[in-house]
Amino acid sequence: MARINDDSVDLFKDQLGRLGESHFLILYWCAQGEDKGIKYNITNCFDDLKHVGITRTKQTAVSMVEALWSLCFIDIREERNRKNIYITKHGARALQQLVVLGGFSVKSSSFLEGNQA
Amino acid sequence: MNVIGIGGAGGKIAAKMDDSAILVNVSRIELEKVEGGGERIIAPVQSTLGQFRGSRKDPEIGHDAYLTIRRRLQDIVVGGMVFSSTGGGTGNGITTGILQGISNIDDELGNQGSTIPVQDRTFFCLILPYDGMESAEYVNNSIDFMTGPLADVIDKGCTGNIVLFSNKTKFTEKIAEEQYNEMIVNSLKVFMSIPDKNENMKLLESHIDHEDFTAFIAKPFFNHFNYFDYDPSKSFGNQLKANSNPLLLEAEEPIEAMFLLEVPSGQDHTIFYDIVKYFVDCKIPPVYSVVENPDLTKPFVTVSRLYSRKPYELLDDFNKKNLELADAKVQKSLEQHVVLEKLEVNFDKEAKRAGKQKGVGDDVLATLKRIGKL
Repeated sequence: MARINDDSVDLFKDQLGRLGESHFLILYWCAQGEDKGIKYNITNCFDDLKHVGITRTKQTAVSMVEALWSLCFIDIREERNRKNIYITKHGARALQQLVVLGGFSVKSSSFLEGNQA
Repeated sequence: MNVIGIGGAGGKIAAKMDDSAILVNVSRIELEKVEGGGERIIAPVQSTLGQFRGSRKDPEIGHDAYLTIRRRLQDIVVGGMVFSSTGGGTGNGITTGILQGISNIDDELGNQGSTIPVQDRTFFCLILPYDGMESAEYVNNSIDFMTGPLADVIDKGCTGNIVLFSNKTKFTEKIAEEQYNEMIVNSLKVFMSIPDKNENMKLLESHIDHEDFTAFIAKPFFNHFNYFDYDPSKSFGNQLKANSNPLLLEAEEPIEAMFLLEVPSGQDHTIFYDIVKYFVDCKIPPVYSVVENPDLTKPFVTVSRLYSRKPYELLDDFNKKNLELADAKVQKSLEQHVVLEKLEVNFDKEAKRAGKQKGVGDDVLATLKRIGKL
């Protein structure tokens, strides 16, 4: 049992090591959206990534979201023809670790900020 | 066909190309300086300090400017010819916006870009800096442009031909800017005159009408065109190589070709078979036409070769030069013998401290707790 536990910690560390700034921001933005009660979908995510200059193509944004989904860090739910993104508990732990390690800094989501205004 | 000149360099060349060229710039002063051309469009960019009078070689400013005239510009460039340099801020930034706009056009099935009709494709003439002598800023801007928006549209196949002019000959031959621009325009006019020559001269073999020509220049590949007096007693391939267009980047292995052969009155025009054979041997049967030009004393051929190459491959030279410059900078800083104190830094601790200082960590963790995920 202990062995399995160690292995999962190692796996989690390796998964974290492969996350980049874009993944960090997506996790942060969907957590922030949930906190504000705003649905955050893949299109919003693409717009925000484009706005902060990370990508210019939707395909790239989609692949980043899919990578996070594959790692079980987010859930994607099809709601009213929109693919909304929700952070999972694993995703929250990953985001927590990324914050503690301090490798990335937060950038604001123009979608969520715009909604707030 | 609308001719559009973006930024300083693009504007000057477009104005020479066409008296009714539409010139776009962020600066009224720059626009007024350009002689010739037609309508002028100012793309206003403002900051808290007031209206910008230039883009400071910053493509971001050019791109912001593009957003102020986006709708108008997207209509104008449809089926048009766009001149822009890739090194500065205005041309690079605004052309980036145009390319992104083109690649985001959806058809009713949601396909992007590649479904743009032949007659609506935009023909791009891009002026690249000479990495050997122009500033690193120009070179860096060009690298970003070519690996970003240009690579995107090429992947999606939604532009017309892209002609890559290079400033290399201008610098190595020490040619004045005005004269060099004239050379670019004259060279382009020779290529663009192919369908008119077909229309106005006696056709001897095959034909390239305006529709054929439009279809050819609507293909999303790089275009290298050149022209020379053709000597049928010598190998066509060698003559083609020897007469490469010095204003353009070297052609790569072509995938399509077109040529117009003009022969003087009364001369044997079947010499065109040698040219056709050359291209067939290269496995690219060409689009071609042979006309009689009574003003000539020797056969004259205009050739266009389309080649496909990823923009990042074109950047090899630029990157090498950048590396050399970076090495030189490192060397200079080493030579300054600055003694630095040794710092003992614990990166984990520093990162946590920096995170806390920004208040970032606390915010994120508090958010996660509020939504019950931690």
